[in-house]
Amino acid sequence: MTTGTTGPAGTGTPRPAGVPPLFGPDSQFHAFFDDPRWALAMIRATVLEAAHPQIGAALVDNSTFLAHPWRRLRNTFLSMRRMFGDDPAAREREAARLNRLHARMSGSDARGRSYDAMDRAARAWVVATLFESAVTMCRFSGQPLDQDTMEQMYAEYRAFLAALDGDSSELPDELDDFWRYFDRIVETRLENTEAARVILYRLFDHLPAPALLDGAPTLWAAGRAVVGPVLGAITVASLPEPYRRRAGLPEMPGAQTLMQGAYLAAGLARFLPDGWLNAGSVIELLSLSPGSDDPRARTVAALRGRMKRASALLRLLTPLGDDLAPDPAPAAGAGEDRRSAEEFFHQVLDQTGDGHLDWPDLAAMARELSTRLDLDEPEETRLYDAFAAWWRELQTALDTDGDGRVSAQEYAAAVPSLAGAALIRVAEVLFDATDKDGSGTIDAEEHRNLFRTAFHRDLATTGGAYGRSAFVSDFLSFMSARRTSTPYDPLLADA
Amino acid sequence: MTEYDVPGGRSATEGLPGRERRSDGAARAVPRHVACVMDGNGRWAQRRSLPRTAGHQAAEATVIDIIEAARSAGVEWLSLYAFSTENWNRPGAEVDYLMRLVRRVVRKHAPLLLARGIRCRFTGAADPRIPHGLARDFDDLAMLTGDNRGMTLTVAFDHGGRRDIVEATRALILSGTPADEVTERLFAEYLPFPDTPDVDLVIRTSGEQRISNFMLWKVAYSEWVFPEVLWPDFRASDFLACLHAYQRRARRFGGLPSQTNGDPR
Repeated sequence: MTTGTTGPAGTGTPRPAGVPPLFGPDSQFHAFFDDPRWALAMIRATVLEAAHPQIGAALVDNSTFLAHPWRRLRNTFLSMRRMFGDDPAAREREAARLNRLHARMSGSDARGRSYDAMDRAARAWVVATLFESAVTMCRFSGQPLDQDTMEQMYAEYRAFLAALDGDSSELPDELDDFWRYFDRIVETRLENTEAARVILYRLFDHLPAPALLDGAPTLWAAGRAVVGPVLGAITVASLPEPYRRRAGLPEMPGAQTLMQGAYLAAGLARFLPDGWLNAGSVIELLSLSPGSDDPRARTVAALRGRMKRASALLRLLTPLGDDLAPDPAPAAGAGEDRRSAEEFFHQVLDQTGDGHLDWPDLAAMARELSTRLDLDEPEETRLYDAFAAWWRELQTALDTDGDGRVSAQEYAAAVPSLAGAALIRVAEVLFDATDKDGSGTIDAEEHRNLFRTAFHRDLATTGGAYGRSAFVSDFLSFMSARRTSTPYDPLLADA
Repeated sequence: MTEYDVPGGRSATEGLPGRERRSDGAARAVPRHVACVMDGNGRWAQRRSLPRTAGHQAAEATVIDIIEAARSAGVEWLSLYAFSTENWNRPGAEVDYLMRLVRRVVRKHAPLLLARGIRCRFTGAADPRIPHGLARDFDDLAMLTGDNRGMTLTVAFDHGGRRDIVEATRALILSGTPADEVTERLFAEYLPFPDTPDVDLVIRTSGEQRISNFMLWKVAYSEWVFPEVLWPDFRASDFLACLHAYQRRARRFGGLPSQTNGDPR
């Protein structure tokens, strides 16, 4: 990554003679890569995406951003980096992976309209919102792009769509036509979808702490209570006026100023020395889990430990309200290494965060695992099939009211014997997929791919390798006996 | 109060001057791991015509006293048997009261324990009947003092020695260990807090002479003393007297040459 903070496009950096590269470190995309304005622009782009009825329905049904936003952010970031990277082979492979991933998402929304994540028009809209938000973030922060830079950037985003879709015919050829296309979609297609509302009003109010700050829930909740509504207001104010009108979004006095101030402040980061801001390291830091063997992890773990102890002391020092008051909370989570059925349901099973367990939740697990392991066909399909079989098993065993999905109550009532044959099969397929060299054991490298950490010292490893039966039994005890076993937590439970 | 200094006839070395049995001739060290069965609170209250709960309340002062005495005497591990799995059978109101009392004690003394460098842990404490708030306080205190390097205080709350063994067995079976690999040492690793050494000295107050399902695995080679004093009357001086009684005994670990607990066996 070259630099993100120098040469914001408004200064008109001269491009080398000839055709500027569409991908790689010299592209406009890379010039913005580490720009903190992206944080705001990405939220805006995501709302615009989600306001598209097709995309909104797909997001609500399938996306894990509500329950696991940090993991999702990291995956998106890595994927974008591959797509805009130098290496055409990596780009092709990532595009194929994204296509396979999206091909598995289709269904119908609450009003019975069908959606399909492979829909070409919808995918063009996603790219359009990214491009438009990049342009808009420069306008809002008072450093508008000149025409040449804008055209160059437009060409890059069209190339991105072409890499994904084969061609970019869904987006207009010329930038002039693009603005007409964009306005038309905003005015005619966008709706006040559930997904857009969720992002604007629920996501930031319920944003779970990243693994790093998990130990300070009070601190996190306090900060979130302030920042959440502000982010919501900033995002609403930054949306195109026609959409705000159509969706009935509130106009708050001062929100425009607040929004522009926020963009301006984020834009000031260009005066920071080179290398101070690096989106990659920020995201790595956010998804760093304290158990990992990353050199920074020790510092992080120490910091986290200190915060955890501080909040424990705070809780212990808080006077008890009424000594005689009966304890209303059920005795959940009493043990250190067990978690309550409810916690497990929300942290692990309900990946999409809609309060129900259905196929998209398990598909999201399969998606996360195959992303981590960087699976190709046919291993990927095998993993999805194993999860699908497990879903049928769960549905048969737990869906007592027959609505096709499993609610938290149904799950808790069954206090389930989840370790059926299908779950064992999932564990075995996962083991085979992780064991890339087919040696029958998972070595340190393979372990790192799956868990992003070295072997945990509690793990029953023999001779530096992790055997099949130990792997399967650990996976089963994580999935069924609800033990919090450290190695599996970062895999599916971390936000 | 010296009637329990040499608890009648229970010591294998009764009548022999302890020092002469030691090959190195040095004074016996302070026990590394001392466990207390805090018995006699109810009787203490009954003798004063107070409700049983008053006895539990009076026990608080002793607990704090003994923790401080053990720490300054150089005991590295102190275990207190606070509440057994069988105690759930007591009248509901008393159990309720106990839970609230323990919660108050934990919260009241948390800063002190932290300041004294005492690491606190709780075994058992897994029963769903334990109130949620208390369980969280246990977790918080354990987390708060987890890095302390001073004495380790293990509070056996809702503890049952047999249950620990059964659960260790279950974990051992689940881990798929082949039968011929199971040794005492391996088994001990599956017990709660495997880093805790064997108990050297158990003090059971109020003259009761029973084990009552307490840390069964870890007391295998313990010395026991049974002072007649009821727990609320037990004081630092009594605790030190028990340590002296221990130091006068020679421990043989079932016929092996004398050895300090903690050495590899």
